[in-house]
Amino acid sequence: MRFAATVLSCLLLASSAAAQEPALPRFVDETGPSGLDATFAGEWEFMVGGGVAVFDCNDDGFQDMLVAGGQERASFFRNGSRPGGRLSFERAEGGLELNMVSGAWPLDIDSDGHVDVALLRVGENVLMRGLGGCRFERANEAWGFDGGDDWSTAFAATWEKGAGWPTIAIGNYVDRAKEAFPWGNCSDNRLHRPESGERRFAPPSALKPSYCTLSMLFTDWNRSGTPSLRVSNDREYYKGGQEQLWRVEPGRKPVLYTAEEGWKPLKIWGMGIAGHDVTGDGYPDYFLTSMADNKLQTLTQGGDEPAPDYKDIAFASGVTAHRPYTGSEVKPSTAWHAEFQDVNNDGRADLFVAKGNVWEMPDFAQHDPNNLLLQKADGTFVEAGDRAGVASMRTGRGGALADLNLDGLVDLVVVNRNQPAELWRNASQGAGGWISLRLSGDGDNRDATGAWIEVRTGDHVQRREVTVGGGHAGGQIGWIHFGLGTAAEAELRVLWPHGEAGPWQRVSANAFYDLKRDHEPEPWTPAP
Amino acid sequence: MSHYFFEARKKELPTVQPKIARRIGAGRNIMKTFAAAMLAGAALSFALVSQAAAEGKIIGVSWSNFQEERWKTDEAAMKEAIEAAGDSYISADAQSSASKQLTDVEALITQGANALIILAQDASAIGPAVEKAVNEGIPVIAYDRLIENENAFYLTFDNKEVGRMQAREVYKVQPEGNYAFIKGSSADPNADFLFSGQMEVLKEAIDSGKIKNVGEAYTDGWLPANAQRNMEQILTTNNNEVDAVVASNDGTAGGVVAALQAQGLAGSVPVSGQDGDHAALNRVALGTQTVSVWKDARDLGKNAAEIASQLADGTAMDEIPDVVQFETPGGLTMNSVFLTPVPITKDNLDVVIDAGWVSKDVVCQGVESGSVAACD
Repeated sequence: MRFAATVLSCLLLASSAAAQEPALPRFVDETGPSGLDATFAGEWEFMVGGGVAVFDCNDDGFQDMLVAGGQERASFFRNGSRPGGRLSFERAEGGLELNMVSGAWPLDIDSDGHVDVALLRVGENVLMRGLGGCRFERANEAWGFDGGDDWSTAFAATWEKGAGWPTIAIGNYVDRAKEAFPWGNCSDNRLHRPESGERRFAPPSALKPSYCTLSMLFTDWNRSGTPSLRVSNDREYYKGGQEQLWRVEPGRKPVLYTAEEGWKPLKIWGMGIAGHDVTGDGYPDYFLTSMADNKLQTLTQGGDEPAPDYKDIAFASGVTAHRPYTGSEVKPSTAWHAEFQDVNNDGRADLFVAKGNVWEMPDFAQHDPNNLLLQKADGTFVEAGDRAGVASMRTGRGGALADLNLDGLVDLVVVNRNQPAELWRNASQGAGGWISLRLSGDGDNRDATGAWIEVRTGDHVQRREVTVGGGHAGGQIGWIHFGLGTAAEAELRVLWPHGEAGPWQRVSANAFYDLKRDHEPEPWTPAP
Repeated sequence: MSHYFFEARKKELPTVQPKIARRIGAGRNIMKTFAAAMLAGAALSFALVSQAAAEGKIIGVSWSNFQEERWKTDEAAMKEAIEAAGDSYISADAQSSASKQLTDVEALITQGANALIILAQDASAIGPAVEKAVNEGIPVIAYDRLIENENAFYLTFDNKEVGRMQAREVYKVQPEGNYAFIKGSSADPNADFLFSGQMEVLKEAIDSGKIKNVGEAYTDGWLPANAQRNMEQILTTNNNEVDAVVASNDGTAGGVVAALQAQGLAGSVPVSGQDGDHAALNRVALGTQTVSVWKDARDLGKNAAEIASQLADGTAMDEIPDVVQFETPGGLTMNSVFLTPVPITKDNLDVVIDAGWVSKDVVCQGVESGSVAACD
């Protein structure tokens, strides 16, 4: 059965490659029948945020999810889908269902093999320790985590070299006590580093200056082995601010990269960060969401020790996604969550962007369709949101692209403000082959945050950095998906965090694998 | 047929045509692109030919988003004045993309523009294009929206004067009592220019105690809903004892009037605005808004064309008639011309109707006969 599908997809891919148009994926809206019923709601303090966290909390391989609720309680759903079947979610109580949640990120903080969840809130942020079986308990006190009392909107985590405990960055937005005059009143972002030699956090330090941050990402932009902290900021409210890149070296205070080092001032309405090596130069490129034009930044010059000097190739690549491409509106768009995933398994990462007006802003489109930009063989992108079925006009915020029914096709969930979230099953016919990988390191940092995965098919190499952070108000942990096109097998290797390269290993297409350090890839099959 | 024509012209202008075709096509579907490219090619051919005959200059106009209805008026006035001066008009539409606008400006330069009029999509991103033009000796007019560059010329309506007119009209009706100020977004420097104009007019009355400032608030995003919330708060704080409201534009005025209406005060408390929004002009006719300061797009378009023609002919920026030295929020000094707007009250609503800005039906909807001259 699977073999037949592969042959079919090979044929289809061959014909579409000839036409130079990427294979068109087909998404089916299964929000209603799936049981996903969640709304991110609220006034001023919830005009931003609205994320979704995607993770497996009962070790069945199926991704469960938590949807931020804003002033209402967050909604937690267990995944009841069957392999290749319709999407099915069941509302559950696991302890995560706090109110005032703007965003949520899964990660295994204490490396006990149970995923934990960081809840970003308007008010105190809360780290929830996973107990297994989709149950969670508050761990701020046990882990020495100061949850603050800010309007928190961004999150990123890394395991600094030599540390057995993560370093967490929290991005904060406007000082919420200053609703009457938000301009220039951005709360400080915070860096929570481990208490030396202990399995808990030290008191946080402020990342000054802070410029009303809406997305943060620890990413090894120069492949030095030490990730830096990229920060995307909202120019609507900061004064004198810009985008930021913090050098975060173990045992040292974070320092901003400067204009002298090559960092160019850029002022955008920064809402979300999606990193991916789109150009294939071995370095991550960054898609930054904003209002009107979005940005795709690539290093101006690579080489061995690149300067943090980026140029914008969004226009040349066809990903400015600056105004509605369908519907009747001509005013510019407002973009939020962005994510690179290969939705048609042709071996090239595609780009999803959630869209929606901030709050009836008259100079921007009210009915603003989501984008699904398919990457072509020449590295440029073509819009397919409407043709693929995901051009919703709801006021999008957060989202996630993840294989929710374990059929090798990436599905889509989008959280909307003051309107129900939406869920689409990827029901593409004739998509290419794929592999889906789960990393597990030894001991601490079990999910190998900071690793790079390389997948080779013929002379085509895809590279993905394993990160926690970015997007808008949410993230995912678990399966890492690669499309393989027509290849029946692929070679892969893992560059484990801080530099050690694993061997190239060969795997067959269309399967799930657990990747453990110093082990052969271990095939995994979902229970039927 | 147009295809044949395009090909024929292409031989005469081998370097220009293909570039335009590619640029205009970016991001659109292939068939549309091809058609658009041919049209653009044909149009440009005409433009260059007529220019050669008249020995006039080429004025290149870069629009931020030409599909927005309001710029059609500006364009018509611009074209008329450009052609009257014996020059020719070429244009590009950035479709709301700041990065497309960078390539648009380059394309206009490549097409031989002798002067550029730029309506910036994003003033903070247009810098490189302006620098390129300046380096090639092509004068640039920042149209309606400020571009912070000392080598560019800035043309807009006098925002401070807009503020003065707003305060003047409200003051005429209510020369004393409790005043509230609903300002624009603090992220927009114009908000402070407007407010400084308002205060200039009212300063004496405030200093003498005749007028009391009982509340002022910036409006996040210029949103009517936020203006309404701020106004409600000011009313509550003052037990509804507010005698006049100076609102900085028609959108915020709409929010203010809604807040007043909820307290039964609409129509008895004067309210200012600006932009000549259709809904606002109707409020002026109904008596719930006192004034909307109107900026006639035809004036702006015509003046831009005339200044562009003069600059293209080599007139120095500081020798343009009515030029003033403007200190920008960024601390630069720019040669600027500020046009004078028109305050529209219920006594001169015929001005906007006669100009074709808005129809009588819209302005006069729900107006009692005999109450407003322009509606009878």
